[in-house]
Amino acid sequence: MITTEQLYQALKQRFGFSQFRPGQLEALTALTGGHDTLAVLPTGAGKTLIYELYGVVTQQLVLIVSPLISLMQDQVTALNVKGEKRAAALTSLMTYPEKREILRHLAAYRYLFVSPEMLSQDQVLSAFQTTQVGLLVIDEAHCISTWGPDFRPEYLLLGRIRHQLNDPLTLMATATATKQVRNDIKQKLQLPQASEIVQPVDRPNIFLNVETFEARVDKDDRLIELVSSLKKPGVIYFSSKKKANEMAELLTAKTPCSVAAYHADLDPETRFKIQQQFMQDQLDVICATSAFGMGIDKNNVRFVVHYHVPSDLESYWQEIGRAGRDGQQSVAILLYQPGDEQIAQFLSEATVPQENEIHYYFQQAAPRVAGDDKANLIWFYKQHHFSEEQVQQSFAARRDQRLTALRKMMGYVRTPACKRQYIWQYFNQTAGDDEKPVHCCSSEEPAVDFATLGLLDTPAKRQKGDPINQRSAGWQFILQQLFNLNG
Amino acid sequence: MDAQQLMLFLSPTAPRRLRVIENILVGKRTVSTLYWGMRYQQLPWLGYEKQLSRDEMNRAVADLQSRGDVKLDQTNATLTPQGIQSWQNLMQGRYQPKYFSVRLVIDTATLWQRLLLATQVVSEQSYQNHQYYPLQVTWQVKQFIKHWFHRFHRQELQAEFNTFWTVFFTQLPEQQALLMSRMLVGHQRPGETLGQIAHDFKVSESEAKVIVTDLICQLAKRISDCEADSIKSLLMGLNQPLVSASAQQTLQSYLAGTTLEKISQQRSLKLSTVREHLLEAAIMLPKGQFDFQRVLQPELVAEMEKRLAKTPLDAWQFKQVEDLPIDFWQFRLLEILRSKSTDDNH
Repeated sequence: MITTEQLYQALKQRFGFSQFRPGQLEALTALTGGHDTLAVLPTGAGKTLIYELYGVVTQQLVLIVSPLISLMQDQVTALNVKGEKRAAALTSLMTYPEKREILRHLAAYRYLFVSPEMLSQDQVLSAFQTTQVGLLVIDEAHCISTWGPDFRPEYLLLGRIRHQLNDPLTLMATATATKQVRNDIKQKLQLPQASEIVQPVDRPNIFLNVETFEARVDKDDRLIELVSSLKKPGVIYFSSKKKANEMAELLTAKTPCSVAAYHADLDPETRFKIQQQFMQDQLDVICATSAFGMGIDKNNVRFVVHYHVPSDLESYWQEIGRAGRDGQQSVAILLYQPGDEQIAQFLSEATVPQENEIHYYFQQAAPRVAGDDKANLIWFYKQHHFSEEQVQQSFAARRDQRLTALRKMMGYVRTPACKRQYIWQYFNQTAGDDEKPVHCCSSEEPAVDFATLGLLDTPAKRQKGDPINQRSAGWQFILQQLFNLNG
Repeated sequence: MDAQQLMLFLSPTAPRRLRVIENILVGKRTVSTLYWGMRYQQLPWLGYEKQLSRDEMNRAVADLQSRGDVKLDQTNATLTPQGIQSWQNLMQGRYQPKYFSVRLVIDTATLWQRLLLATQVVSEQSYQNHQYYPLQVTWQVKQFIKHWFHRFHRQELQAEFNTFWTVFFTQLPEQQALLMSRMLVGHQRPGETLGQIAHDFKVSESEAKVIVTDLICQLAKRISDCEADSIKSLLMGLNQPLVSASAQQTLQSYLAGTTLEKISQQRSLKLSTVREHLLEAAIMLPKGQFDFQRVLQPELVAEMEKRLAKTPLDAWQFKQVEDLPIDFWQFRLLEILRSKSTDDNH
């Protein structure tokens, strides 16, 4: 049995901290006591520390199921940087011999990251069956519920896969989950008895701001104004890669800031460079899409702007959670133009097959068709012996669920009442008025003054085009810098 | 791929097949693609844009059409008089690669990944820093550099790398040296992206990509001539044959005098495949490395040439000679031979 003292010791030795953040110790105590645990901790609260530390104190294999390859790679890198060499991600980018190499030497690893699709492959699953998984982690566990049957259905197999792995101790971790989503996660993983550690999701240092515009051009102008005047660094979210690229160009041209787009189409070299520039404060603003995870912690993000309405509050809360991880005053700004919800609705419905499509694809005897996501999706259910009726029902329910989620999101945008209280209610958390921060939201302070919030940029600290000698130097200087030849 | 890049693959004197241009860029090694790629002098671009989609290609074509630079006849593109003018301006104003043929014999993309990561590792080593985010590269490259560093890290890597880059940059035009040096990643230098460089040097991203690729080709040459083992070994295993391994095997049997039928039997290949192998070799290898005469008897060649004398090579039709005792593949071989023998400026 692992004692609390041992946990503190490991925290000190490994991470150099003497205190746990709220929720961490509770989750670790539940896990070391042998209880499957669902941990809902706000973004930036250190969910990864829980399973990292668990691996350290128990010396067992920790298997982490994670939704995004980029996120997995970032997490492996972050572990490597901390000196943990026994970490790897099994991804679809690897060749067969590479995967086999890892699967044959599972015992050599402490932390392995996989996607649900990878884990449901026979060869991968059977390799893990022959080894002892000390802890199974379902990271971003809300995906099980919010993605559901229309996107990455392998998530639904995780309950069964868990049994096939001999029911290892399981940690389900997420930053955002309503009571309903929490129940859904536990039900789908077949762990109804799991302990729940739920921390308040609120981030009182983030001012919640919604602004409405009549025309696109007004919105663009406001974005330019915000980016020019707000304290950096900041992140702007878009619904499409195309828009993210366009606006990165526009903002580069129209503001004195250095801006770059960041999304799944970037090649790894570019992605690394943008990420590191941002980390090292050489880049002011990133124009991102939500599909792209940012696994590397950056504490001093001062603003998160949403140019489009996200399709649900879970995503929204997750994304604005990147602001103000250092506890300093920050702001989340949603720029809304009536009609924007149609983009969100379209994007959120686009993946859900309609009744006639389901019927059509069910009649097809053919297996997977390259590039036809819906055909492949229905084929997945046929293969797993679902009847057409079951699938019809489940997708009908899914469409309703997506619509409800969007309505709730729009409720946040439109409510004239306190935005923060709306969020509390949505995530089934109650708190009194006295727990609100002094500066709360745009419903309460409609003419928000960023100066009062201390969020206005102090100009001329750094010139554009001169992030730390980057651009004005000759190649001789760059080589001197690279190879430390100044001394 | 943007419209300007596509424009450069077109010809002011003859229509060009868009599918050939696309297949070359994607890297399809069919005989027909390779043959026309050779005729268009586009072979060095083989596999330059492996991810190129039909949509992207179509957008570039539509772009040129809407500007009035190009006319389409099905999927053949011809430059209009205005298009020819733009083409000439582009040829003068835009960077033209000079070393791309290196791409055919060296895996330059992997070399760049290795060199970039090695430079980062050495840079961090010069600051005695062990905790940093390494570049995200493929698993193979990561393993390679791990072993490489294990082998060389006691040597004067810092000095060797500094010398290597200094020598390389010194022999480049100043602007190109600056451009490439800004791509490099190291201690507290995240390096700049292609997009950022294009923006600062006031070129399009597609042109910046051509410049950088051409510089990487020059790097490959420089590395193979380099005396320092630590740097030279970065090329290990990256040489690639001009023709596929299987075609190479067919070619060797053929050069040893084995008949095509026998090769087909021995290697359990269709006769047509054996012929395709030989055509691939004939296209890709220097003329002297292929025995044309064994397939093309002099009398037959003389007869064909008599009939085809008045037709420019790219307009040759098999039906002009099909009553003679020859197969299409022999006809194609003659086309290849002719293409390689004459300095045809298409």
